[in-house]
Amino acid sequence: MDETPPPPADSTPPPPPISHTGSPTDFLKGVVGKRVIVRLNSGVDYRGVLSCLDGYMNIALEQTEEHVNGKVTNRYGDAFIRGNNVLYISADEPL
Amino acid sequence: MASQILPLELIDRCIGSQIWVIMKGDREFTGTLLGFDDFVNMVLEDVTEYQITAEGRKSNKLAQTLLNGNNICMLIPGSTGPEDS
Amino acid sequence: MDPLSSGIQEPFDLIRLSLSERVFVKLRGDREMTGILHAYDGHMNLILSDVEETIMIVDEGAAGTVSVAKRKMDMLFVRGDGVILVSPPSRT
Repeated sequence: MDETPPPPADSTPPPPPISHTGSPTDFLKGVVGKRVIVRLNSGVDYRGVLSCLDGYMNIALEQTEEHVNGKVTNRYGDAFIRGNNVLYISADEPL
Repeated sequence: MASQILPLELIDRCIGSQIWVIMKGDREFTGTLLGFDDFVNMVLEDVTEYQITAEGRKSNKLAQTLLNGNNICMLIPGSTGPEDS
Repeated sequence: MDPLSSGIQEPFDLIRLSLSERVFVKLRGDREMTGILHAYDGHMNLILSDVEETIMIVDEGAAGTVSVAKRKMDMLFVRGDGVILVSPPSRT
């Protein structure tokens, strides 16, 4: 993601108070490049390495396996998953 | 005038504790709430997913998980879920 | 930057890099198709050509037998809201 230093303080609005970590944004920063399970609302699972995602939860996965009822039903080198179908993204390896 | 508390303030106070999430469909989740955003997308830890079917309840353990807020129906702070009640 | 992916910074890059290539598309309603991707937009509306669509027909009766129907279309618009997954041709 962006490793750039923050711009000068006088040009930025006051940052939101950091009440806690563990927000969805923090989770997503930590999980990019890791193995994940993406479950869709239909119950179908996609297991693979999370390449990236956007604000709509559109997802790019690598080395993707499609699981239906616990069985592998398809494999894709890359896969784009449209975000509206996503139920959850779960870490499949320690963060 | 009673002191007003916004619904999401209540959920904010729940961060770090157990929460029970009931989805619009036949799915429920419990876990430790780590955080959430304005869409009520939630990050949970030590998650149990429940699928309620005609045959009964199927459960499934998950590690840290981002739950899409889109299909969330209800939140029960402090509850360990359907096995609790 | 993610070292694993070759220059993909957002999910739509995957689609952009697949223009003019044959892609696999999974749609709601158990529809699957492959076709040459000509255009897309932010809704994931797609224009595909030389399309072969596969329709899974599950027989509700005897043990859920699945039959498969195929049909071909020269040029096709796919409305984005039906799209579940798009997979580009394998880079390996």
